[in-house]
Amino acid sequence: MKAYPYRRLAGPVSLRVTAVELKVPGESREPLDTKAFSVVEQVVALGGTGFDDWESARLKLSATIPSKATAPDSGWSDVSVVAVLTEKATNARTVVPLESTTESGREWTGFLDVWRADHRDRASLSVHVVARADGVPGRVIATAQNEWIVDLSAEAPRRQRELDVVIAGFREGPQWRRPFREVPWIVDTSGDVAAVHVNTDFEGLTDLLSGSGSGVEGLVRDLLLAQMCTDVWTAVFHAAVGDLEVEEDGTPLFPHDWRGEVLREMLPDVMPGRPLEEALGEVHRRRTEAAGWIDLQPRIHFAATRRAEMPKALSTTIRGLDRLQQRADA
Amino acid sequence: MHGGEDFGPWLARQLRMAGRTQTELADSVGVTRAAVSAWITGRARPRDETIRKIATALGTDASTVRNRTTDTLAGRPVAWYHRPAPRDGGREFGNAAAFAFEADVSVLAREATQNSLDERLDNGQPVRVRYTLDELSGETLAAFREAINWKELASHYEAAASRTRKVGQVISAGLRDMYTRDRLVLLRVDDYNAHGLTGDDYEDGRFAAVVRRQLDSRKTARDAGGSYGLGKATLWATSRLGLVLINSTLSEPHEGRRERRLIGRLDLPWREVDGKAWAGPAWFGRPDPHVDGDDVARSWWADEETVDRLRLTRESGEPGTSFLIVGAHDVASLADAASPEGEGVDDDSVQRMHQRLVEALGRNFWAAMTSGGGRRPLLEASVRSFRNGKEVIPERHVDPDVEQPARTRAFRAFLEGATVDRLTEAGQVAMTTVPLRVPGREGFGSGGEHRAVLLVTDGDDLDGEPYALTMMRGNRMTVRVGPVPNLPIGTNPFQAVLLAGRAAGDAAPFADEAEAFLRASEPPEHDKWGQTDELRTCYSPSAYRRIAALTREANKAVRDLVAVPQEKRRAGTERLRKRLAVGGRRTGRPAASGGTGIPTLDELNAHIGTDGAWCVTAEVRIPQGGDSRPLVPVAKLDVRSGPKPVLAWAELVALHNCELIDGALHFTSGARRATFSGVTDVSTHPVRTTLSGLVVELRTGKEDKA
Repeated sequence: MKAYPYRRLAGPVSLRVTAVELKVPGESREPLDTKAFSVVEQVVALGGTGFDDWESARLKLSATIPSKATAPDSGWSDVSVVAVLTEKATNARTVVPLESTTESGREWTGFLDVWRADHRDRASLSVHVVARADGVPGRVIATAQNEWIVDLSAEAPRRQRELDVVIAGFREGPQWRRPFREVPWIVDTSGDVAAVHVNTDFEGLTDLLSGSGSGVEGLVRDLLLAQMCTDVWTAVFHAAVGDLEVEEDGTPLFPHDWRGEVLREMLPDVMPGRPLEEALGEVHRRRTEAAGWIDLQPRIHFAATRRAEMPKALSTTIRGLDRLQQRADA
Repeated sequence: MHGGEDFGPWLARQLRMAGRTQTELADSVGVTRAAVSAWITGRARPRDETIRKIATALGTDASTVRNRTTDTLAGRPVAWYHRPAPRDGGREFGNAAAFAFEADVSVLAREATQNSLDERLDNGQPVRVRYTLDELSGETLAAFREAINWKELASHYEAAASRTRKVGQVISAGLRDMYTRDRLVLLRVDDYNAHGLTGDDYEDGRFAAVVRRQLDSRKTARDAGGSYGLGKATLWATSRLGLVLINSTLSEPHEGRRERRLIGRLDLPWREVDGKAWAGPAWFGRPDPHVDGDDVARSWWADEETVDRLRLTRESGEPGTSFLIVGAHDVASLADAASPEGEGVDDDSVQRMHQRLVEALGRNFWAAMTSGGGRRPLLEASVRSFRNGKEVIPERHVDPDVEQPARTRAFRAFLEGATVDRLTEAGQVAMTTVPLRVPGREGFGSGGEHRAVLLVTDGDDLDGEPYALTMMRGNRMTVRVGPVPNLPIGTNPFQAVLLAGRAAGDAAPFADEAEAFLRASEPPEHDKWGQTDELRTCYSPSAYRRIAALTREANKAVRDLVAVPQEKRRAGTERLRKRLAVGGRRTGRPAASGGTGIPTLDELNAHIGTDGAWCVTAEVRIPQGGDSRPLVPVAKLDVRSGPKPVLAWAELVALHNCELIDGALHFTSGARRATFSGVTDVSTHPVRTTLSGLVVELRTGKEDKA
């Protein structure tokens, strides 16, 4: 729990994106359809706009804060509301002030320019209420509960992302992949997004995966997909816990990218019955210290299998094979 | 106003109603019987002096006799006149039209307001509708019962209530409520700037359609809402006592008069009272001298005092009608209240009915109440509540911008021509058109393609469910609200409005044909467009499919405007990719196996001491049956990024339900809450204390192996 050496503002602070315009060098700003952002998902997707060479995007913003902030007897003065765009991957931080648009001081609006060159993948957009408190200027007295995501490449405004799937022959292509030409797939966790590479040189594999056949072929395909997913979730979990930022007192922090999401989704199965932070700390401790890491392997396997819905796929396959067998016998 | 009726017929009627002969009048006026006869046949006129004497004899004033615009009050009084049972022995145990509706004030608001809207005077001004709830008790109730001649009715009610059929039960509940709780709820529906109940008491006209007839709709306007004549039945359905009183101010004079035309109508089932069988309905009025044999009541022109006693006073001389529903009840709102016992009327039912009326008016008529583009709204509506004539909830004008802000914004933008082609900013209204291929009607042209107007704007939850398409036609009443299907996840909430027929504006092609077609496709409840008998007979058995096509086109047009794009997947990888989604889950999946968790910090009080150290008192919540291993309190500084600097404790004290061993808190077994306090060591603070926030956490000790 947190405490502050000054009074904070209670009540909801919310942020909305109300319009997005793209700027292509040498041309005037082009307003995007409101479909480019989702107030439900709180995501702005700048990838599907049809403008490949855009340079910056102007987001029109609107924030609502409790009217207590600007009440005469609040104890705060010089109240302002700022929108903050950050991306941990690039350490970019843009702050713009918003302007009060209503008498009550509840609604604040303004705009923020997102420069493409400053960002890499996904930036977070938040809003802070800043005021002079007890004579100290510039204190954050409240922060929006919700953060928006500005995704530079996504076509659909969704918070959820998908791991990448690369379909390629392993005999060709990057050097690192060539030694694996004998295997049907490998998982690569080194990039911005983890990717599963499917080897087209493995005879018949892609036909099986993309085929629409039912019967035995369908059963095998679903089992194979579940097996691939189990591999992926196991690999990404290991990749995520293997590279954690650690605080001074040894507390590990959740990574801010997909690794953090993977951990949040899988930790409840790996370390059941514990808060996420606690679970992460325990996993980290067991991995870095001598004891306990081996004990954890079955739990990680369990979590990955469950996430990949392997048990369901397997029992469907077994039942399906039984049925086919009976039909053949009849 | 000079001379209502001719003197002769007028005088003859007054005598008949008073039950007096020509000779008796001649005697009291002091003329011969022949002179009176000459007046009645029109061969002679009395002199002024004689008129005064006639007035005295009839118990009225001279100007009444001179003007003859009203009847004298002499003779048989205003009273209840019941329709005798038919001689064929038929018995009707209720009003079929009233059974078509639930006793639900929101249905009443919809039907009655629609009727008012259809009766609007065509003068560019809105029709004003006001709903007034008044809960009577004590002396006020007694006085009202007196005014409606309750004594005359009591035996009829008792006979009706004793029957076990549905209507009987409703009536008996209504009587019980009135007698045992000494309470009666009146709901008055007034409209102003409307036609009023014009026309003769019995011949075709608005009066007869409402008061005398069932299932008679005499609506002629092309964009009228109702066409079944069912709507008025909701007035009687809303009354537990089946009793509605009416006061109308007419837009065109009848019998030379406009104001205070009164009548009451009672709908009871067949009953036997004092050995005589009665068919059902009864009317509260004056016996009609022109009808021989059975007693028939007709409307009468009342004086102001009578109107006041009947609680029917209208606020101005503007034409329109007031319906007073006696014993109003609202089955639906009782269901909403969902009291565990499920019986008895809640004390605040007037408040609930008030609220439900406001909502129903807003939901159904926001478009009719919207002005824009220099045009006034078609309708203004308000609701107010009284108790014994004293205001308990002030009059509230139903404001479409409050009740349905997004839809109203959309419609106003259409009226003002302020729509856009595509949505680029919150608050905009996009407009497009969708086709309705109106089929040809038998002997009514070949039909053609109507372009209905589709409006889409972003909506929040103030309008009710978002992602909805609202449909209406020329009368601007909401016909149907349905969800738009097949929207991708993440699509911004919106409200869409489809304006078809005459609502689509003057420029829309085949608007009149579409209006007629859609009107024919509306059932009595006016809550959808679909297959109806009228559609089948006037158009063709498959004509309703045109409406399905319209809905489909409209939904597609909405999706084109608002559906967020979906991530494109290459065919070969789709199966795999959709299984590899991370993030976006709002709440964590429940863990595979349970566990009640470990103690957590529940409350934190912190202040900065004189020496600059943080002084902390914290409360810990310990889950029942959970893990009770020792925990170490840790204090850190709250920084924006990077590792949080840890502060050492100068002092740590276990206060309640816990014990401090080696810097770890050991909780008393079975305790649910524990308290500890601590003071940080200032020498370990990397910055001045006032410059940073503090984070306190509980960590499991390292010695612990779970």
